[in-house]
Amino acid sequence: MKRLLATTILAAVVAIPAGVSADTSEKRIALSNNYAGNSWRQAMLKSWGKVGEEAVSAGVVAAADAFTTAENQVTEQAAQIQNLILQGYDAIVINAASPDALNGAVREACDAGVTVVSFDGIVTEPCAWRIAVNFKQMGKDEVLYLAEVMPEGGNLLEIRGLAGVFVDDEISAGIHEGVAENPQFNIVGSVHGDWAQDVAQKAVAGILPSLPEIAAVVTQGGDGFGAAQAFKAAGRDVPVIIMGNRHDELTYWKEQKDAAGYETMSVSIAPGVSTLAFWVAQQILDGQEVPKDLVVPFLRIDQDNLEDNLANTEAGGVANVEYSLEDAQGVINSGS
Amino acid sequence: MNAARPAARPAIVTRVLEQPWLWAYLGALLVWLATITFTQGQGAGEVISAALAFGTFSVIVGIGQMYVITLGPGNVDLSIPATMTFAGAVSMKIMGTQDAMIPLGFLIAIGCGASVGVFNYGLIRLLRIPPIIATLSSSFLFQSAAIAYGRGIKIKPPPILADFATARIAGLPILALVTILFAALMAVVLHRTVYGRSVVAVGQNPRAAHFSGISVDFIRFVTYVLSATLAGICGYFLSGFSGGASLNMGAEFLLASIAVVVIGGTSVAGGYANVSGLWGAALFMFLLVTMLNTFGLGAGVRLVMTGVIIIAVITVAGGKSANS
Repeated sequence: MKRLLATTILAAVVAIPAGVSADTSEKRIALSNNYAGNSWRQAMLKSWGKVGEEAVSAGVVAAADAFTTAENQVTEQAAQIQNLILQGYDAIVINAASPDALNGAVREACDAGVTVVSFDGIVTEPCAWRIAVNFKQMGKDEVLYLAEVMPEGGNLLEIRGLAGVFVDDEISAGIHEGVAENPQFNIVGSVHGDWAQDVAQKAVAGILPSLPEIAAVVTQGGDGFGAAQAFKAAGRDVPVIIMGNRHDELTYWKEQKDAAGYETMSVSIAPGVSTLAFWVAQQILDGQEVPKDLVVPFLRIDQDNLEDNLANTEAGGVANVEYSLEDAQGVINSGS
Repeated sequence: MNAARPAARPAIVTRVLEQPWLWAYLGALLVWLATITFTQGQGAGEVISAALAFGTFSVIVGIGQMYVITLGPGNVDLSIPATMTFAGAVSMKIMGTQDAMIPLGFLIAIGCGASVGVFNYGLIRLLRIPPIIATLSSSFLFQSAAIAYGRGIKIKPPPILADFATARIAGLPILALVTILFAALMAVVLHRTVYGRSVVAVGQNPRAAHFSGISVDFIRFVTYVLSATLAGICGYFLSGFSGGASLNMGAEFLLASIAVVVIGGTSVAGGYANVSGLWGAALFMFLLVTMLNTFGLGAGVRLVMTGVIIIAVITVAGGKSANS
């Protein structure tokens, strides 16, 4: 799978010079990243390094360098962006520490003629491009999937993330919107699992005895395996639990699939979204018309591509995919 | 003893009311009743079973923490979460899901815990670092060691260990039953052995204990090693219970280990300990969260309520012991 992807990217890369309207081979792209302290960010940097290196060696761009600030501080990242402007990069791809506190530095970059593309942690400065995650849609998609596989509906248990965090509110709002549109589903319980398997296990084990039969568990990722453990410990049949692309969740799913034909789906954001931002920046430098607001595609794993994705996921990590130029063009076209 | 108490009250009732562990059990009972009233009796037994299963881990580390806190002001073990993670990660990785390695894994978990305890007391005694700083800084070291060793990988326990950690007899978790027996044993150790009485004596007045012939350093050393060893054992069984060792698995036990000690009626100032209250407090803490989850309250309200109720129980229990 990885090899196949790499080949696709290389093929795309080789094919580019024929169809471009402006040459980007002299252009230099920098990644300004605010944090590297978890496995998701590590995978994100690794993907960037891999795709960037291939693009440089194929002569698509002159440089694709990654810079990470040490302290996850806004002031530090603002200073870093100013340095990148002075170093003469043509485009800066940003995963920002703050949506608005970097706007001054971003404005300076735009005024200096630098293309700014923000992703994941986006910036609100209008001159920059934004590749944002639609967490609400992610929550809603879970319910839509359930409506497909169990049209008769049933009781849902909702596992939320960390209380008070924007992402938790958004995903939950999406789930509730989906349930409102599919009244055959009914959320009978809601606990906070803090996106951690052990916290989710404890919270679910506590509330489970008071709940009627559960048809499915809607989650936010990082909590599906813990929920399964809690159901097992309570002596209940494990219902359809939506997974979040974590290695332990996919492993559990695979075991249950082989043992008893367990069916579910898994959805999250791939760390390789950094490579999507890379190609979007390249397309802008190439002179293509790119809308300012784009949406990150979800990495969704279904029954038939579970094995491929599991084989591609590092133990202890999260499923990943590197995006190609065609993927980026697809996102750009669907956004306009 | 309060002379104004009504003479009509039988001595046995007064005696029971004076027990500091009473309030934790009373709190647990009230919270449980509120929960099953809300669910109209559904799941009454299963909730208790779940509370026992999860309470087990708080009690195991709580016993160690209780002995340490009893040593007197300033004594606390903040390295418990890191020790659990460290011992869990190392033992799971060495066992490599093989059933034959289970006894060896258990010894390794004990060894990991004991060495953290020795290291802790080395910092405290040889470098004269206050226990709070010493155990906190050693927890950074051992947490980092666990990260470097495990690389974030969730290593599965051997199947027999996983089955044992989650097994039940007549609806009651076996691990909980074992831990109840162990708690009873540790109560006997506390009240009836030279070591246990020495811990209490050191907590009440280390100078007086020293002059009466107790080796204060040795007692402290043993107690810190005991606490860390229990944390190691807890990490071992928790890994078996939750399907593997993860890097954040100890996180909630920093607060939990101290909370069960305090709510259970042990004096924070040291010199007075109470083992039976640990179980009451552990059940209370789990049932409280379960009750608020069952009521379906928002996260903000839940956190506020948890804080308020814990303060209320400590005030009631603490107020009683201050009078006596």
